[in-house]
Amino acid sequence: MNPYLSVSELNQYIAGLLDQDSVLHDFWLKGEISGFKLYQQSGHIYFTLKDKESSLSAVMFRSRARRLDFQPENGMEVLVRGSISVFAPQGRYQLYAEEMQPYGIGGVYLFLEQLKAKLQQKGYFDAEKKKPLPAYARRIGVVTSQDGAALRDILRVLKQRHQGVEVVLVHSAVQGAEAPAQISRGIELLNRYRDVDLIIVGRGGGSFEDLMPFNSEEVVRAIFESALPVISAVGHEVDNTLADLAADIRAATPTQAAQMAVADLAQINREFDQLSQRLIRIMQRRMQQENEILDRLMMDRAWQRPLTMIEDRRQRHGDLSQQLLKAVAKSMDAPQKRLMVAVTGLDRLSPLKVIQRGYAVVRNNEGIIRSIDSIQSGDDIIISVWDGELQATVQQKEKVVRWNQ
Amino acid sequence: MEPMKFEEALKRLEEIVSQLEDGELELDEAIRLFEEGVKLSLYCQKELKAADGKVQKLVQTLTGDLELEDCADLLED
Repeated sequence: MNPYLSVSELNQYIAGLLDQDSVLHDFWLKGEISGFKLYQQSGHIYFTLKDKESSLSAVMFRSRARRLDFQPENGMEVLVRGSISVFAPQGRYQLYAEEMQPYGIGGVYLFLEQLKAKLQQKGYFDAEKKKPLPAYARRIGVVTSQDGAALRDILRVLKQRHQGVEVVLVHSAVQGAEAPAQISRGIELLNRYRDVDLIIVGRGGGSFEDLMPFNSEEVVRAIFESALPVISAVGHEVDNTLADLAADIRAATPTQAAQMAVADLAQINREFDQLSQRLIRIMQRRMQQENEILDRLMMDRAWQRPLTMIEDRRQRHGDLSQQLLKAVAKSMDAPQKRLMVAVTGLDRLSPLKVIQRGYAVVRNNEGIIRSIDSIQSGDDIIISVWDGELQATVQQKEKVVRWNQ
Repeated sequence: MEPMKFEEALKRLEEIVSQLEDGELELDEAIRLFEEGVKLSLYCQKELKAADGKVQKLVQTLTGDLELEDCADLLED
């Protein structure tokens, strides 16, 4: 009788051979998925990998399957790392998959579509979560490479628009395996630091692969969770990265991001000067009105005093108008001095300066007293003069007819 | 004046100007607003000049603290 092996012994022997093989122990394999099956109860994944001529059974256990960051599907080309071993009960060898990635551009696109759908579901791209950018940002946080062209572009444009703008940079890799963690850490650091008005995160273009960190869940989450508004500035015109979708505003380039980040200082200065000018004009008008009222009051005294007093008064008005005209004229040129002149002009026109010249304002609890009709004998009144206030009681009131009434 | 943001100050200045422009305000109220307007105006002007254009780098130290390093060289190109 010939010596023989049992089936189990043979299968075990073969399994031992395969297990010792240095290639089959750990390798990458490319193939297309078919017969994909996820067993809900165990969580294990079973599928077949095939190419044109051949196919191979594969299994991925739950502990590995859980770590997959995409959803494998039939027809998808994938790269699988694993080992070959024999499934002894059936005398079949199969692939034990450790990790799996979508293969090629097609696979990556599919992966991105899935990730996008997942993050969308989490609300990362919701329009109502977008934060508005501050209108007058003066301190800008930037997360990018300190050696990159993107940073130079950002700094150049920021300085063009607003010489005084301050920049707080967090250096990070913007491509490669380290990039997602470093970029998201940069955003987190600036949020901890807090003393910036907004964050620009980006890089100056690159290949589809170079931009992949900006498609990572890590970076997208950091952008979404940032309490500071984020402008994404991944230099590419066509496709949006997922970071773009999560950002509060997407800029096509770092240059554009810098333009969005700070308002044009010259523009702000113009608006601000216009406001100051309007403030002057209003008070100028108001003071003219008040001066007319004063004039009418003066007329009453002029009956009792020499006419020179009126001349004196006119002279002062003339001076005041001259000063005002000068202030306004000056403010038209020399933009640097413009505001100071304007403010000085305002101050000169202030009713307080009128009081300083010897006039008084009389009021009670209800406001300024313009007519004796609003006051009774015995009422308490307050008389404001230049350097203080007098509390007084009305002893007598008497109607006076002014010459022009 | 309470510390406020530049944009809040500018907005308040706008309010004051339009209030003065179309309001039939009592003189004392007009004076009060006008004086506030002048203060705001000076404040805004100061704020516009305040930022000094520094470029700094934020780093985390080994102890986890945040630190700012000057890096003016990044501006030279």
